[in-house]
Amino acid sequence: GRNEYDLLVVGGGSGGLACAKEAAQFGRKVAVLDYVEPSPQGTKWGLGGTCVNVGCIPKKLMHQAALLGSALKDAQHYGWNTAQPVHHTWSVMAQAVQNYVKSLNWGHRVQLQDKNVKYFNMKGSFSDPHTIRGLTKAGKETTVTAENIVIATGGRPKYPLHIAGALEYGITSDDLFWLKESPGKTPVVYYLFILHVYENTVSISLTGASPDVSLECAGFLTGIGLDTTVMMRSIPLRGFDQQMASLVTEHMESYGTKFLKRCFPTKVEKLESNRLQVTWKNTDLGTEETDSFNTLMWAVGRAPATETLNLETVGVKTNSENGKIIVDANEATSVPHIYAVGDITEGRPELTPTAIAAGKLLARRLFGQSSELMDYDNVPTTVFTPLEYGCVGLSEEAAVQRYGSDNIEVYHAYYKPLEFTVAERDATQCYIKMVCLREREQRILGLHFIGPNAGEVIQGFALGIKCGATYPQLMKTIGIHPTCAEEITKLHITKRSGLDATVTGC
Amino acid sequence: MGWEEKQVRGYPEFVQTAQRYHGRPIFALFCGDKDAEGKSWCPDCVTAEPVVRKELHNMPDESVFIYCLVGDRAYWKDPNNEFRKNLKLTGVPTLLKYGTPQKLVEEECFKAELVRMLFTED
Repeated sequence: GRNEYDLLVVGGGSGGLACAKEAAQFGRKVAVLDYVEPSPQGTKWGLGGTCVNVGCIPKKLMHQAALLGSALKDAQHYGWNTAQPVHHTWSVMAQAVQNYVKSLNWGHRVQLQDKNVKYFNMKGSFSDPHTIRGLTKAGKETTVTAENIVIATGGRPKYPLHIAGALEYGITSDDLFWLKESPGKTPVVYYLFILHVYENTVSISLTGASPDVSLECAGFLTGIGLDTTVMMRSIPLRGFDQQMASLVTEHMESYGTKFLKRCFPTKVEKLESNRLQVTWKNTDLGTEETDSFNTLMWAVGRAPATETLNLETVGVKTNSENGKIIVDANEATSVPHIYAVGDITEGRPELTPTAIAAGKLLARRLFGQSSELMDYDNVPTTVFTPLEYGCVGLSEEAAVQRYGSDNIEVYHAYYKPLEFTVAERDATQCYIKMVCLREREQRILGLHFIGPNAGEVIQGFALGIKCGATYPQLMKTIGIHPTCAEEITKLHITKRSGLDATVTGC
Repeated sequence: MGWEEKQVRGYPEFVQTAQRYHGRPIFALFCGDKDAEGKSWCPDCVTAEPVVRKELHNMPDESVFIYCLVGDRAYWKDPNNEFRKNLKLTGVPTLLKYGTPQKLVEEECFKAELVRMLFTED
């Protein structure tokens, strides 16, 4: 018989919803399946996917909460009579953030209904290439058939199951943003907090790695006054420019986050006091160490949500190492009429804007007579650590690898945001780096910026890079004064010269 | 037990009524005052009310439906009126599930499926 829907999207996150809504604009019959499997700790949420519920949105809001704390400290220098120290109440922040997220869940429900997209709150799996079997929370089954199916189920945080106690006693980012009570101990004495264990398993993407959950969370937790420690086995922000990554972590250390570098946990146990005892190996010293914490949060990478989809039944090929769905430039899988977008796909950045763009373009190619493919090059991104890091284009390492160090020129500068001066804030890690081709027009390959509002700064420059901007063009661009962004237009010291890259004021 | 309706006028009466039924699902429809003939100064409210009333049977058991007249047009236009300030209402008609971010504003209230969704969503 005929398929019930023109398009069925499995997964109601950034990519899935964008694809479904775009397809509906073309007057097609579209349905979306969304289901949130509760985390091992029991946390669940509404429609909208990772970004809305347990990613970008709550993270940026909590990052803002932490920044406001710093602003309150700075305020005194600017004449405000604020009583120091100022305390933070987790539950007030959490409730405000959670309410906003819930309003977004509702907003998506209204939008889908309004655009005539059928919504099923069910967990989907393939019965055959055009049929999805949906299961409600109560166990009721429904079959849905569609001409085209888009898999956009995203990913979930991994648990290091080989570590005793990891599953029972640890939380992940899925749970952190929904905690009603502070992950730290209460009021007066701020005890010890989150131990983030970080290990790298994210595959390297030269065109834009995905920001680092553990550093961003550790950053805002420190910022709101919790005693926070990050444990890492190897390097932070793998896939990002490593010089920039160390500046970011250096800043976090001076800001108060503790780091246990080149260590990895071996077991987690619960103490009578309800605190957690974590044991780890210090690979530098070859010793075993232990300490107790209130909360342990794992940030050891994300796994694609593919196991329950029944992909093998229909023959959708996945990468054997990481389980992600293999797609071509059309976002098509190995099975005709089955596509995939977003975090679930192999070799793509794990970012909301790319998932949304890919989803929309896919809908336009399927139903709108378009042939435009998604361009994954030069995707800008920002890590929202206390001192933010924004970038677009190639890292220095990637540029060297691709063109050779003789063929690139790296311009750089250490600068001090004007606002830091009066506030007596340390600007040691405020740094800008631009990688250009050395020959001919000196095209800009990559731009890296550490400083306040890095995301806002880099966004505009991403357009320049997209248009093939060159160093001479940048030098002809007048800066806006006084800003941090203008320092980009003034870059002139090269690494090659060996000269001091500290910028002086005007 | 089914559901019941409470008709109120003005902010204090609304709050008092909502507090009285704390613990039960509370849905509220905010409309502009009605004249002697029973017609509201707010034309969208006139359109929305029958649509909402038709869907009331979809509310969960034990629900309380508060039909609230906000005041006259001048009161409503004042940007500092209590409904705007405290309940963050931006327009009339507004249909909302009290204590949650779930609400429908103005033309959204004309759509039966949206109203039904508000009444039945978790």
